[in-house]
Amino acid sequence: MDIGTIIAGLLTLAILSFLYRDNPVYKFAEYLLVGVSIGYALVIAWKSAMMDLLLTPLFGQGDWSLVLPLMLGLMMFGRFHAKTNFISRIPLAVLIGSGAGAAVPAMLGPRILTQVSGSVVPLVGNNGLPDWSGIVVLVGVLSTLAYFFFSREHRGPLGVASRIGTWFLMIFFGTTFGYTVMSRMSTFIGRAEFLLTDFLHLTR
Amino acid sequence: MKKLESRHWAFLGLAVVVVATMLLNFEPKLDISPEAKRMHSFIDSLPAGSIVMVSFDHEASALPEIKPLALAFLRHAFSKGHRLVGIALMAEGTAVGYRLMDQAAAEYNKRYGVDYAFLGFQPQIIAAILSMGESIKQTFPRDYSGHEYDSLPMLREIRKLSDISAVVSIADGNLATHWIEYGRARFNVTVAAFVTAVMVTSYDPYVSSGQLRAMVGGLRGAAEYEKLIGIGGAGRRAMLAQAASHLYVLALILVGNVIYFASRARKGRG
Repeated sequence: MDIGTIIAGLLTLAILSFLYRDNPVYKFAEYLLVGVSIGYALVIAWKSAMMDLLLTPLFGQGDWSLVLPLMLGLMMFGRFHAKTNFISRIPLAVLIGSGAGAAVPAMLGPRILTQVSGSVVPLVGNNGLPDWSGIVVLVGVLSTLAYFFFSREHRGPLGVASRIGTWFLMIFFGTTFGYTVMSRMSTFIGRAEFLLTDFLHLTR
Repeated sequence: MKKLESRHWAFLGLAVVVVATMLLNFEPKLDISPEAKRMHSFIDSLPAGSIVMVSFDHEASALPEIKPLALAFLRHAFSKGHRLVGIALMAEGTAVGYRLMDQAAAEYNKRYGVDYAFLGFQPQIIAAILSMGESIKQTFPRDYSGHEYDSLPMLREIRKLSDISAVVSIADGNLATHWIEYGRARFNVTVAAFVTAVMVTSYDPYVSSGQLRAMVGGLRGAAEYEKLIGIGGAGRRAMLAQAASHLYVLALILVGNVIYFASRARKGRG
């Protein structure tokens, strides 16, 4: 067994020990996880972004167009002192402005317009019989929207529609919770398989 | 020593159920869902030699679900002769993606730089996708191992996202939506996704509207995909444990409710 598997096995057991109660062994494993994750992300980001996209092309290949992003990046550090805090507003403005500019059309198109057109489906199939899935989609969309319509009191037809919408929401939450349980179980099963197979060699 | 509480017994019971079913080493019967068939047909439908970008958009904590999903897809893609370009839009996905691609490539005798390449990580997801739409070489001047972009033969014919046949996002969060909102909407690239079970309901509407070409989710999805491509894997091995653990949770919910209503009735009488 290699040293990596032994360390991974011991750390898995250390994390699982929390299920009994909080303890120093768990704390050690938890801090190690946080530290290693941040350290790894920093190193990867430094190499991929800072070195490959900025410092090497700028100082190694003389691409002086990168001076501007470098300056904007350095201005961000103004936030660390009250007197220079205002300097950081310039790169933040660039970041927010460009981010919003890119995001607004992307949100409107794929997230709203295409999804709305995707929910417009024929209610009658090619064989002349009702298409029940299309009807469920229509009722689900309209009743859920009715639930989130707060400009009028939920009474009469609007009240009925919003109550139906509540049922659709509950079914959605239930499905999502079911999938969440499945996901968490999968995580535990994955670690159990690692412990039984690679660490303890009890299964193949 | 601390006295064991009810939650300790619940955890212990789950551990017993999972370990016992895994030691049985038995694979239950598995029906293939339309979602898994759809993804399989999509990958099959791409002509051999197609360039597919695999984006490892996940954290290391999702590995128990992500690894079987990713390996099933990579094995299928390599077996069909597709050429794969790996990237990571989350830092922790970088090492995982590199190792998984290397593992699957070795199984099919694929050569690095000719049949597959791994470009590594870029921060700022949206900026990275938009930048790849203009030039992948400018976004990743070097691959993960430090090779110059143009030094790898397969990368010379890939200039931007529109040269890619499809992007497959392997995600444990909402990063695949960025591929839909920026990659597909702006550069018309086909997007498919392998996701953790917890994300399935978030992506289902995108599959229904056709924005996500296909989606496979969770360990169950991995098991179905493994069956479709005719190989064994962690997904299929885990199915009995998964089914047993779900039954165990259902039993706990039932018992909890019975105890609750019984105690309420007793209080009412008292």
